[in-house]
Amino acid sequence: MVMTATVREDVTRAEPPRSAERRRARRRTYLWSYVYLAPMMVLLLVFVVYPIVASLGYTFYKWDGIGDPSDFVGLDNFRQIVHDSIFWRSLGHTFVYAAFVVPVQLVLALALALVLNNKKLRFASFYRTLFFLPVVTSAAVIGVVIQLLVSNFGDSINDLLMKLHLIDRHIDWLGDPHFALGIIILVGIWHTFGYNLVYFLAGLQTIPEELYEAARLDGAGRFATFRYITIPMLRAVGVVIVILAVIGTFQIFDLVQVLTSGGPFFATEVVNTYIYHLAFGGSNANAVQPDIGLASAASFVYGVLLIAFSVVQVVVLRSLAKRRGTGGIA
Amino acid sequence: MSSRISRRTLLRGAAGLAGAGALAGCSSDGNAQGSKAATTITYWDWYASQAGWVDNEIKLFQEAHPGIAVKKTTQVSDKYADLVSLAYRSNNAPDILMVPKSPQLSQQISQSWLLPLDKWATDSWQGRFPENSFVEGVDVFSGKVYTAPFAAPAPSLQLYVHHGVFKDAGLTNPDGSVKLPKTWDDVTSAAEAIASKSGGKVAPFGFGNSTNTTLAWWLDLFVRGAGTPGGAAVGGIDGMDYRVGKWTFGSDRNYLDVINLLLEWKNKNWFYPNSMSISDEQARAFFERGRFGMTVGGVWNQPEWTKHKFTDYSLVTLPTPTAGDPKALFYGPPGGKFVAVNAKTPHADEAWAWFDWLYSPDAGKRWVEQGQGLSVYAKNNDPKSVTFAPFAQYVAMSGAAVVGPQPTIRNPKVSAVQLPGVKPDINDVLAGVYTGQLKDPQAALNELTDKMNQALADAIKKAPGVSAKDFTFADWDLTKPYTTKPGA
Repeated sequence: MVMTATVREDVTRAEPPRSAERRRARRRTYLWSYVYLAPMMVLLLVFVVYPIVASLGYTFYKWDGIGDPSDFVGLDNFRQIVHDSIFWRSLGHTFVYAAFVVPVQLVLALALALVLNNKKLRFASFYRTLFFLPVVTSAAVIGVVIQLLVSNFGDSINDLLMKLHLIDRHIDWLGDPHFALGIIILVGIWHTFGYNLVYFLAGLQTIPEELYEAARLDGAGRFATFRYITIPMLRAVGVVIVILAVIGTFQIFDLVQVLTSGGPFFATEVVNTYIYHLAFGGSNANAVQPDIGLASAASFVYGVLLIAFSVVQVVVLRSLAKRRGTGGIA
Repeated sequence: MSSRISRRTLLRGAAGLAGAGALAGCSSDGNAQGSKAATTITYWDWYASQAGWVDNEIKLFQEAHPGIAVKKTTQVSDKYADLVSLAYRSNNAPDILMVPKSPQLSQQISQSWLLPLDKWATDSWQGRFPENSFVEGVDVFSGKVYTAPFAAPAPSLQLYVHHGVFKDAGLTNPDGSVKLPKTWDDVTSAAEAIASKSGGKVAPFGFGNSTNTTLAWWLDLFVRGAGTPGGAAVGGIDGMDYRVGKWTFGSDRNYLDVINLLLEWKNKNWFYPNSMSISDEQARAFFERGRFGMTVGGVWNQPEWTKHKFTDYSLVTLPTPTAGDPKALFYGPPGGKFVAVNAKTPHADEAWAWFDWLYSPDAGKRWVEQGQGLSVYAKNNDPKSVTFAPFAQYVAMSGAAVVGPQPTIRNPKVSAVQLPGVKPDINDVLAGVYTGQLKDPQAALNELTDKMNQALADAIKKAPGVSAKDFTFADWDLTKPYTTKPGA
């Protein structure tokens, strides 16, 4: 404290630069910051902000995407979405997907990260690559392969499970409403699991080795080390991982679209496929008139719900952090 | 050593790149590869299993027109309408294209997507088509021709029977031929025999519903045989019972009867268990391998099976609840649509030349010869000239499809009615009932009927000069071709 005060005193005693010069220097620094930020801002404006603003306009029209929107319907699209049971069912599926994928994936990713972080483990980089591979594989490709596997080898899988007395009847894994969402959840966990693994690994590698050494000298066992060093030190990065994982699961689209297209009878429809089917005319090969206005209204309602959910998430995390006295978001 | 690039090096590099680009351009152009044609026209379709016929026509066309090359792009069928719409929005639409099913043709024309063809499609050109081929509201709008019929009315769906499976189940006639089912009871008995003789190893029925369409084909085929003219078609005003000008899913008992029949078969485990999740293509392959004995599909199955040398099957259409003739048939409009020319094409004459070629009687003849379907030109559809037995069966059943009522002929303003999509549609309802998510099929059918009729009523309100009466043809005899009189 004393040192800081002294330094501050020195600074105040020094000849202050003229304000114009200071402004120029500050501007120069800021200018470069803006230059670096500009590309990202342009992309954000063009691909995020503009579509949001533009789609808000479409929400007031009945429009099939051809020509200019002219059939003004006011708030009818919102009314229709709010009263559409399929929308709420899709929202429910999205939350179920997130509720299963996020915790399972995080626990598995943390466990595996602990194993891979072991310096004595041979071929650690190979395993890391192996677990990260699904992440860099397109969800569409994964969906097609899984669909082919399940449909072509579904009989063999069923026969095996029946022989093991695990099931008593043949199951159409992607065509049975009791199982289809579960299969999508399993594939979803496997597909993006690598991201969280890498994030946790990065977090683990920032924990100073000295802390573990000191704990060992104090006689702490493996569980105690994990409980009192690893977990607290990972808390900050862990919160970010949770937020990213939740946001990622709410964006689920491609896997569902390729595996089941939301069927059978909307049993796996998530909000993003619901919006897509509204905007591009039906969930099947039939020619159903697309409704961009309704799709935009659904996007808007979903966006509002997600913002509300994010605010609740941040508030809860902050209050938890305060209770623990760690301050900040964590 | 200077790191600067000299102007000569730069030019050399640029020339190299341009050459590479030109080569790449040639190599990506499948049909126009190596062509020295002065003009290349772009052509879009969704014909996958018919690609052999299209490619052959392109080859013959290019030989006959050395100055024109056709660059074909086959788009995925269920996304075709979206892709065409996007192409028009980005000014990248092809010069000539198969007419997408959505939006309605009238809307495509009002958006100036398509070129009127009257300059070339003169009276004498139209004269080679059968009578009533050019109809206001179908392929003619405001007196201008935009497209033309390509195929003759034909039964769009059939029940395919696997000879091997039937023979193994003892389903044969005294002469050794396969006993083909004609009635719902025949189909049920055949299924029972297959299930019991195979010990459950072969499923009696199978389909591939991953695109949520094929289950409705079963309903469509069976209700028509029972006398329901709307079938289970989806999209536009298809599927309506024109006798009353309404959808009748809830009020016509045949729908519930067929759904109950399908559920009965399902509860006996007679459907191939993965039917709801496999694709139609996979179902086609599984039928070929004898994993199930019967499936519902269209003539598009046949070229693929022929390619694999699988010919041991038969087809029947419109099975009836009791013995006798089907009480309703398949219906199509007079006239029809196939391809059209982009209104903004810079190569209108060349695009027309390709249009004209596709519609030529010779191209139609090759279409029939290759077993793709029936031609709009009756002389091409002689069953005697067809040697392949299953396709001959198909040609012989052409009487099961006739011209039905056409509201746009009676009142051309009907083409302005834009019916919004109703969800859940009949495909969704069937999937819900089949998977047990909808416990009360009758209630689901009633709700669908109400929603569709309400959507039509709302759409009529927005179309000046159109009323509900425009969709009613009380004098329609379901077993005969119907001639719609203008303004009647």
